Amino acid sequence: MKKTPHLATTILLSIPLLFGCASESSSLMGMTRESPLEVGLISLPEVSTSSQSETPFTFKAESDQLLVVFFGYTMCPDICPTSLSDFRAALRRMGSDSDRIDLAFVTVDPERDTADKLIPFISSYATRFHAVRTTDQDQLSIAQDAFLVRSSVSTDANGHVQVTHTGTAFVVNSNGQVVSELPFGIGSDGMENDFKVLLNNIDKEAN
Amino acid sequence: MKKTGITLAVIAAFSLGVTACGESSETMESAPDVAPIVAEYSVENAWARTSPMEATMGAVYMNITSTMDDALVSASVPMDIAMMTQVHETTMNEDGTMGMQEIESVPMTGKTALVLEPGGYHIMLMELVKPLAVGETVPVTLTFASGATTTVDAVVSEEAP
Repeated sequence: MKKTPHLATTILLSIPLLFGCASESSSLMGMTRESPLEVGLISLPEVSTSSQSETPFTFKAESDQLLVVFFGYTMCPDICPTSLSDFRAALRRMGSDSDRIDLAFVTVDPERDTADKLIPFISSYATRFHAVRTTDQDQLSIAQDAFLVRSSVSTDANGHVQVTHTGTAFVVNSNGQVVSELPFGIGSDGMENDFKVLLNNIDKEAN
Repeated sequence: MKKTGITLAVIAAFSLGVTACGESSETMESAPDVAPIVAEYSVENAWARTSPMEATMGAVYMNITSTMDDALVSASVPMDIAMMTQVHETTMNEDGTMGMQEIESVPMTGKTALVLEPGGYHIMLMELVKPLAVGETVPVTLTFASGATTTVDAVVSEEAP
């Protein structure tokens, strides 16, 4: 496997660049784009424990709320638990405003992440969550393309399953636009900052 | 900053070095005049993240310092905690995705802390027997290239200490 820079180092080096991408009037710590990613037309199955059935989940926040989308897998020991723990810590500090933020976790390893594994995993990190899973690779690819996410699942020579995935968390508004892209390593403070800024913006627009 | 102090003498490093140089037994006999080379290891902030329900994987992080150049070559935990333990490194690939791989040896430069942290080197606990819960401790035995071993207690918590 090609040796690449240590992820923690890469993130530290890239954060100043991300700041540079944000507009001057913004105090967001995540990355923003002049033309935000549009994901509101994308739909994938949401699984639940209460029934075997799946319901379509659309990547849009409820009115006046935010949706945070993360692509990962439950057997991920480092990246996913770190980002999801940061998400949980950020929401705990936000009090009642945390009720305005949903988490959608899209598994990139659907063969192993069946509903009975996926739902307990996500519920450890969020009360308002959506467990999103499709075994249709084309359908998953369409969703990933909309977020500019990449992932792969392969088996190495020792028979171990190797999974790679983009570690960014995406904050989506009720129009289905990605309004902040939170890179791995931004931490709970960075997440809390962006959630508060974005909710304040929603409230200002409403008044 | 919480510090788990560990100090151990590594006489093995000295005898290995002599053997590697192909010295004769005469040299060995004259060795008593030479003070054994002693490495001191210290481990700080050893912690394991809580594992979510149904998760079978866990990760342990810590800062390891040695007074001598060495390398971390393996780690282990009791079988009643996890069935398998490996040293891993998370890296970012050219396409921006992140993956991880087992590392056979992580070099340690004397006095500079080897940092095991989220998004970098970590000790991966595989096939967890039960979830890691806040307040528990995981005894982790570290093995170094010098032959030295030491065991530290990693505290289970939701966030880095």
